Amino acid sequence: MSLIPDLRALRAAGAIAAAALATACATPAQKSATSDAEYLLTVTRPGLLHVIDMKTDRIARSCELPGKFGSGALVPTRDGRHAFVLGNLWEDVYGFELETCKLVFSARQSEGDVTVKTVQSLAVSADGSELYTVQNPVRRGADRFEVLPPRLAVYRIADGLDAKPVRSFPVKRRITKIAATAGGEVILGGADVEAIDVRSGAVRTVSALASWDRGPRWLTPDAFAMHSQGEHLNEYVMPYVTAKFADDRQDMASAEWWWGMSRVDLATGKAEAREIFPFEFVIFSLVADPRDRNILYGAFNTLSRHDIEKRETLKVVELDHTYYSLQLSRDASRVYVGGAGSTISIHDSGTLEKIGTIQLPGDMSTADVRVAWRRP
Amino acid sequence: MEKERNITSMIAAGLLALAAVVGAPERALAADGAALLAANCLSCHSAQGGSISRVEGQRKTPEGWQMTITRMQEQHGAKVSAEDKRRLIKYLADTRGLAPAETAGWRYLLEHDNNRVETIDGRYRDMCARCHSGARFALQRRSEDEWKLLMHTHIGLNPTLEFHSLARDRQWFPLAVNEVAPALARDFALDARAWKAWQAAPRTALDGSWRIAGFLPGKGAFEGRMRASAAGEDRYELAIEGRYADGALLSGRGVATVYTGYEWRGSVDIDGVALRQVMAADARGERMHGRQHFADSRRMGGALSALREGAAPMVMAVMPAQLRRGETAELTVVGSGLAGAVSLGKGVRVLEVVSRSPDRVVVRARAEGRDGLNDVAVGSARGKGLLAVYGRVARVEVEPANAIARVGGPGDAQMQKVGVAYRAIGWAAGRDGKAGTADDLRLGYLPARWSIEAADEEAEKAHDADFVGHIGADGVFVPGDAGPNPARPKSLGNTGRVNVVATVEAAGATVEGRGKLDVAVPDFVQRALD
Repeated sequence: MSLIPDLRALRAAGAIAAAALATACATPAQKSATSDAEYLLTVTRPGLLHVIDMKTDRIARSCELPGKFGSGALVPTRDGRHAFVLGNLWEDVYGFELETCKLVFSARQSEGDVTVKTVQSLAVSADGSELYTVQNPVRRGADRFEVLPPRLAVYRIADGLDAKPVRSFPVKRRITKIAATAGGEVILGGADVEAIDVRSGAVRTVSALASWDRGPRWLTPDAFAMHSQGEHLNEYVMPYVTAKFADDRQDMASAEWWWGMSRVDLATGKAEAREIFPFEFVIFSLVADPRDRNILYGAFNTLSRHDIEKRETLKVVELDHTYYSLQLSRDASRVYVGGAGSTISIHDSGTLEKIGTIQLPGDMSTADVRVAWRRP
Repeated sequence: MEKERNITSMIAAGLLALAAVVGAPERALAADGAALLAANCLSCHSAQGGSISRVEGQRKTPEGWQMTITRMQEQHGAKVSAEDKRRLIKYLADTRGLAPAETAGWRYLLEHDNNRVETIDGRYRDMCARCHSGARFALQRRSEDEWKLLMHTHIGLNPTLEFHSLARDRQWFPLAVNEVAPALARDFALDARAWKAWQAAPRTALDGSWRIAGFLPGKGAFEGRMRASAAGEDRYELAIEGRYADGALLSGRGVATVYTGYEWRGSVDIDGVALRQVMAADARGERMHGRQHFADSRRMGGALSALREGAAPMVMAVMPAQLRRGETAELTVVGSGLAGAVSLGKGVRVLEVVSRSPDRVVVRARAEGRDGLNDVAVGSARGKGLLAVYGRVARVEVEPANAIARVGGPGDAQMQKVGVAYRAIGWAAGRDGKAGTADDLRLGYLPARWSIEAADEEAEKAHDADFVGHIGADGVFVPGDAGPNPARPKSLGNTGRVNVVATVEAAGATVEGRGKLDVAVPDFVQRALD
């Protein structure tokens, strides 16, 4: 049930794969990319950050991550030059220069007898100067564990290798993905969506979800997401599932199931939260079309397109296996579906028809799939 | 599998070591448990006024302590020799164990008879039994501080726990520490009258001669005699002789250890097959009951009962345990010191004694009379309600009614397949003539034909019954191979939902019973207790 035993087994498998991949990794860093380069980024076991050229759909280079795998959550800087990856059993953060694979930043969050895990919570400030993680510390005493309160840790990226937090502030438990706004806040995706001021630590509610007050006709939503997208529209999306009941008795037979989302504009920090289309199948990740922000794509066992203004599902196609995350090309003509395996499935965003595959040398597992390009 | 193997091989090693230790110098046998605890545990735990931190606040079954020490070894680097581990488990279970009354109702977990749907208090169902069996925590006793520390351990070992579906809909950690732990401390309290009374109660040695009866998947019902010779320190050497219902003989040897004065754990080799016995002895040491399972696949097993033989004759069982009205059949009365006239109760005529010995009397009998459970007597020995007399099989129950099998293999390099051993139980309708009512009469196990079918529309559409595995004529379901199957959509593995169907033919009528079987993915974490 827990991820930990899986990780242990997979670590062993990863170690074997690492030996096999050693020669593949030796590819020298190439300086071929131009300023209009458009990259798809993801991480595979045992520990490679892949920089995929989205013009050719081929791996341009693979950067070696120190330490063990886990989780492969990653965040590119807004200028598309760097990316930061959560590695080493969800504990360390490594930053790379994407054109050279040069390791420019590292932070080991665990220290002494305190083990610190980060559950996908990784963000970079809009100006690229600070890195944020949500830390979940546990003290491992001689004969007992002591669970410590979680905190937002702020790192100065310029501190480079072996950086230490420059500030930290208390936050709630069970936070997954986070994102930085232009206004100096970090959006925290937990039971509710909150925002924390990275200078003062002041927290405000962005979208009340678990604590919403909509009366007995709406089921308390299950808000959860492992993977980050939103590069195209500079937004943060936390999907949720809820049900609407016919009356106050909450009779499950009368439940009308809905997908909803809290959608935060990272330029303004403003959010809207509402139901977006009926719940008919499981979706693990959502991404919005930059050409029409009412069009969303979803992936898990299926790839789907939805019109959230009309609150309907427009098209669904079966995928060949389960995928966790998805992205769009810069022009939004192609959908890249990845995670949960070693292939990225490429689809036409209009027909959703499969038009290509990128074969990776390892399993993406829980890793993010992100896009990066030089922004003006 | 790896862990399972470690644990089972550990037990095996411990038992082999036992054989070597028997007859070794007294000092080895008299090793002081407290000193052993200090020697092995104080590098991390602290001694506070003669008690050892963490250990003092807990009571567990032998398997519970085994899991604890295994975790210390695997997660915390404790170096404990196999012999010390064996002795520590014994010492801890004896001094910080559970009284018989405290394990009642939860023993199926100790017996690894897990194919059942538990009824768990709502407070614990979502918070604890979402991942564990309910019996896992109900078979522990802790102080409130220890229950609280257990919650910290949970996050320490499983940092993603709070993020799971059905955990993230609440503030899991504060709820666990502030509400669930105090409730557990009340419901499963460290200080309990039952334990104090059991500690004060006199212990009965379990050596001597035992009449045993049980069932082994693939072999059938059996009865026999188990002689237990005391080997010191609550350990026994065992010699077993007996026969299956089809007349085939069985014989074997083994060893057993008794923990906490009543927890019988045997390791026997019957005709080359390694088996484990998990039984509880009653307070007077006259009866034991539990389960025997294969050493290499603990889900495969069957009931095991033992009655201590004394000077008085006794009747233990009748095989088969049912006789249809109007039918003439051969029945074997099993017992000890059997002498004198055979009575199979009202309405059953003993036509002929086919053969007899003090252990078993074979008779030909014919039932008239009414439906009911008849007492069986041989001379002065009497067994209550051992023979079911009936007119018609009204319904058939499949045992287990709900089960999980797990795909595995192919080959030994993969996780082992986890199968299910099925039996069919017949029921007569009782006085009201209606099947499925409270007065139904249990007829015992009946021979059946076995098959599987898709459990529902979805399973039908996915052709689950064609992929999940097969069930043999002996009622043993063997699941399919693990891994992706390209013949299925999305290369789905050989998992699925089926009904297991038992078809019983009785007096020209056919009666079917169904059980639900989920064929699931391998369980990669093997524990002493699930």
